[in-house]
Amino acid sequence: MTTLFINEEEVTVSSGTSILEACRKQGVDVPYFCYHPELSVAANCRMCLVEVEGWGKPAASCCTPVGEGMRVTTQSKSLSKDREMIMEYLLIHHPLDCPVCDQGGACKLQDYTEEHGAEHGRYKEVKRAVVDHNLGPFVSTCMTRCIHCTRCVRFADEIAGTGDMGVLNRSDHMRIEGVVEDALASELSGNLADICPVGALLDKPSLDVSRPWEVKRHRSICTQCPQGCDIVIESRGDEVIRIKPDYAANEPWICDRGRYVHDAFRAKERILTPFIRDASGVQAVNWDMAVEKIVRLLKGKRVGIVFSPDWSIEGLTAIRLLHDCVFDDAKVAFDLHRRDMRPFAFEEGFGMTSKQIVDANEVVILGSDLRQRLPILMQGLRQRSLAGKPVIRIGAMNYRTNSELSADALIRPREWAAVIARAMQQLKDLGKSAAGMDAWLSSVSERHEAGKLLADALLSDSCALLVGEEIRSHVDAAALIHGLDLIARASGHGEEGRDARNLIPEGMNASLLSAVFGDVRTSVGDLFDAAHDGELDALLLIGSDPLGDGLFSMQAKRAMGKVPLVQIGAVSGQVSEYADVMLPASAYSEVEGTFINMSGEIHLADEPLSTVGDARPLWKVMMRLIQGFGMDIPAVDMNEIRASVQSYLPSLREVWGQGVDHNTWRMPVARQRDANVLPVGVNPAMPLDVISRYSMYREGAWVRASASLVEAGNIRALDDVLVHPNTLKEAGLTVGECVIRTASGNYTFDVGVRDDVVEGVLFISKRGVAGDLSCEVMASLGGGQ
Amino acid sequence: MISSDPKQVKAICFDRIHIENQTSLNIARKNGAYAFLPTVLKDFDTEHIVDEVKKSGLRGRGGAGFPTGLKWSFVPRNTGKPTYLLCNADEGEPGTFKDRDIMRFDPHLLIEGMIMAGFALGVHDAYIYIRGEFLHEVEVVDAAIKEAYAANLLGENILGSDFSMNLTVHRGAGAYICGEETALIESLEGRPGRPRFKPPFPAIEGFYRCPTVVNNVETLATIPAILEFGGDWHAAIGVPNNTGMKIFSVSGHVNKPGNYEVPMGTSLKVLIEEYCGGLQHGTVPKVIIPGGSSTPWLLAEHYDTPLTYDAMMKAGSMLGSGAIIVMDETADVIALTRRLAHFYAHESCGQCSPCREGTGWLERVMTRVENGQGCEEDLTVLHDAATHMAGRTICALADGAAAPILSLLKHFPDEVRERLMEKAA
Repeated sequence: MTTLFINEEEVTVSSGTSILEACRKQGVDVPYFCYHPELSVAANCRMCLVEVEGWGKPAASCCTPVGEGMRVTTQSKSLSKDREMIMEYLLIHHPLDCPVCDQGGACKLQDYTEEHGAEHGRYKEVKRAVVDHNLGPFVSTCMTRCIHCTRCVRFADEIAGTGDMGVLNRSDHMRIEGVVEDALASELSGNLADICPVGALLDKPSLDVSRPWEVKRHRSICTQCPQGCDIVIESRGDEVIRIKPDYAANEPWICDRGRYVHDAFRAKERILTPFIRDASGVQAVNWDMAVEKIVRLLKGKRVGIVFSPDWSIEGLTAIRLLHDCVFDDAKVAFDLHRRDMRPFAFEEGFGMTSKQIVDANEVVILGSDLRQRLPILMQGLRQRSLAGKPVIRIGAMNYRTNSELSADALIRPREWAAVIARAMQQLKDLGKSAAGMDAWLSSVSERHEAGKLLADALLSDSCALLVGEEIRSHVDAAALIHGLDLIARASGHGEEGRDARNLIPEGMNASLLSAVFGDVRTSVGDLFDAAHDGELDALLLIGSDPLGDGLFSMQAKRAMGKVPLVQIGAVSGQVSEYADVMLPASAYSEVEGTFINMSGEIHLADEPLSTVGDARPLWKVMMRLIQGFGMDIPAVDMNEIRASVQSYLPSLREVWGQGVDHNTWRMPVARQRDANVLPVGVNPAMPLDVISRYSMYREGAWVRASASLVEAGNIRALDDVLVHPNTLKEAGLTVGECVIRTASGNYTFDVGVRDDVVEGVLFISKRGVAGDLSCEVMASLGGGQ
Repeated sequence: MISSDPKQVKAICFDRIHIENQTSLNIARKNGAYAFLPTVLKDFDTEHIVDEVKKSGLRGRGGAGFPTGLKWSFVPRNTGKPTYLLCNADEGEPGTFKDRDIMRFDPHLLIEGMIMAGFALGVHDAYIYIRGEFLHEVEVVDAAIKEAYAANLLGENILGSDFSMNLTVHRGAGAYICGEETALIESLEGRPGRPRFKPPFPAIEGFYRCPTVVNNVETLATIPAILEFGGDWHAAIGVPNNTGMKIFSVSGHVNKPGNYEVPMGTSLKVLIEEYCGGLQHGTVPKVIIPGGSSTPWLLAEHYDTPLTYDAMMKAGSMLGSGAIIVMDETADVIALTRRLAHFYAHESCGQCSPCREGTGWLERVMTRVENGQGCEEDLTVLHDAATHMAGRTICALADGAAAPILSLLKHFPDEVRERLMEKAA
């Protein structure tokens, strides 16, 4: 620790702290542009000059470490003149266009000009103008406004890892530019607009729409991935202007998916009023008429309910109440990516917090495109990897990570059991075992060397297994997860507080879902098949879009074509073409509610935006339906709904009762010790495995309703069907149109190749026609037609 | 031959410079090059060498005048990281042309100095960063290094000792700022030459974040003589605290411009009158820039100032790299200042706001003033813009850019005002 004096006040900070950080800690205001707490120090703006007693000249406080007994002054006549001059230097080429600049009103340069600048500028010469750069659909540039603080360059290098911003030239010809004339490659690119202290980099989708003082800020929770970041939504009247990270929260960044989905809140896809379909087509009706029609369609019928896990937990519990009051024998399904419904030894959700994962000795990513799935967690792993700590990945594709992986094993989905068995064997040979291990081990004859990576990692003191979609969607997922559970427990990573098991869920609220719906849950595919086979009379779809997302679009299409469909949701999507009735439910930004993220952390949204049209929060829609069916309403207000949630999860009482610190409070993930599923040694009927690729710019009805995310998705699109070049060669085929044979029939697609995927796997993107292949697990390639 | 009597020493770095084909190893060796190296490698221990250099009082000849032995003693030992020795041969300071002569006429002196310095510091890889425009010098030094390798003066187990060192020439790309040691390091690492903020200092975290010593060509070329004749011998040359010989590059309105190696403490007047053949016009200079274009100007009243770091400091300027630019009464000091302002505006690396924006601003205002389009307010603007860059930036380029402006305003305000009036009329 070092003790110094800042403006005569004694301050003690840890040694090596910069003077600026010591000042910030002490609450002493020192102006700065280039400093950013999450980025390396550049010390180039020179705004943070302070005086240190005995030093001949002012010191840049951001890059000067504190010294014992140092006496620092942050205000003096000479410093005021220095700051005035720095402002004058910075302003000589800065355009006087604050009235038309989106940053105006929330601009460091403007604020400091007011605070530190001179009354007028004395620069009479020619001003500099700089050519702008196209950085893609998210970030707009006005580089004449740039003050060259290089925050964006450091962000691109250090955080994004894409290095696609750079500094060109020197002297006052210096320019900040996109290094290549291309869209920014980072999934965190939107943060550039946030960290730019002036109006040089701005949000492109919301450019020239609003002024900072017009907008109202609502703290909310992003439900675009299971991470559940704290966000602030900026709105003006009915409009949603932009989404930003909540700077009061721990995480400084949010991803582009969570940020730029904002235009979907007011997109044409929003369901604004109830609709019914009759002989004359689709027409808007009032709530009573719509509910009446629903009652007519569903009363006394065998109903299947499919819903999205991303509603608030109050809304989700209301779905259960509807089920119990009206359709108590109905099956419900919610995970569009889970084929295997046998109980998982560890259910969806994390045994660890993000911080514990990032800090663990070993991290193993098992079959996940983590950078797209959980961009913020991946960012944590990237920082970890930069610090020299290992990150291991086993999976079917070299999904881009923008950081070094310490090991990267490519395996096919059918090899997972052999990988786990190899790891299990190694643990067993070392005398580490868990009950049931021998039976599991003897059911798998193959061993795959990638398992050594897994076992070695588990032998470390702390280890995190991040189990991804390749395993969760596997036909034999329960057996694989049981195997992973066994090796985690055998190596001492299966206890509370030392739990390496993290199963990446499809969406938010995973730990609530297993508690509330565990007993009535079925597979989405089975449910649609049942509808198609005449075992169900009608479908109720709540926020879910099985045509656009997940693995069961083919079954969904068949089922919807056969039985009546009631859709309740905030955005319509393709499903609406089949809907007989549509009811509008409020978006996640428009409700007061509670959300649980993948790590079981609680986030409360209590500053909702005003809802649009006739939409109502989901729980109210559910109650209205229960009423329509002539039943007693089980909950009339938020407290009563929450009381129902507590009947499933009593511990939530603390959350609502006392207001909880979500840094420490966590909902535990469901574990099932009795889940005892052994791998089935089936002989694969076809040579190729099929993997349905996840894209953060495509997956989710919200995302497909967002124009800017759709544009980004098109820019980043890979081929609809991808294989390794050798796979194509072995089949005697070339890039282009090929016939893909599957259990359900033959299809013709354009097939592309990539070197960084495992051989023997067909990667399909859920886009357009290729989406229909998602339900397949195996295929073979035939010649062109 | 260098005399072992300090009183008799005529030259150190330039001692063999006039010998024809001294660049060839055979001839250089015949004239004494590398003669003392085996003794150093065999009998000297590294601490002894650092002590001798400290004792010699040698101060860095690149401009800052920092004691070389002290700089060497800052390098931490046994860090587990390699230590690098970089020779700063990016001689770009306007007015300076001394290192160039050492390199093109006696490259083996520099190489010998680097081997000895590398040996003292435990260096395995050393680099010479040569100014990009010095194409011929790069060729000469490269050829000399090649010969030295062939003679086992470089490479593995030099002259059968345990000491191994590689020496590589790196050509700069023409940026003045790369003569600043941390910018030089950045450039050598393959990045744009932009100075780093300090701390950490290069001695702790320099080239590739490893301990690094950066020394000027003349400094390193002095090392062989110091080790051969001893630190005390060197300390007896010149005046206390400003010891040894120093090469001065004299240019401007003198009759015999050129490089002159003289004992420290010789006066400006003696150098100009006796060595350089006096001024072209008149008897007293109008302006003397004593240490390269970045140093504040001296006037006729300073003509007797001794050429030492301390005396120059006392006179309000700096000895710098010893580049003396002399202006007689015919000089247009406003045009001179404008031209220097242009140089600094062009060479600013652009990272610090005051320097990036200030240097260009100064140039533009000076251009107006020179052309008679200035006004009284410009004097305040020039003064403010120059004053508040100096000492407020990562490196000293801004100080250098401010120096001519402030000197002009300080010493010739009337001449500037006259120019304003002249054109206004």
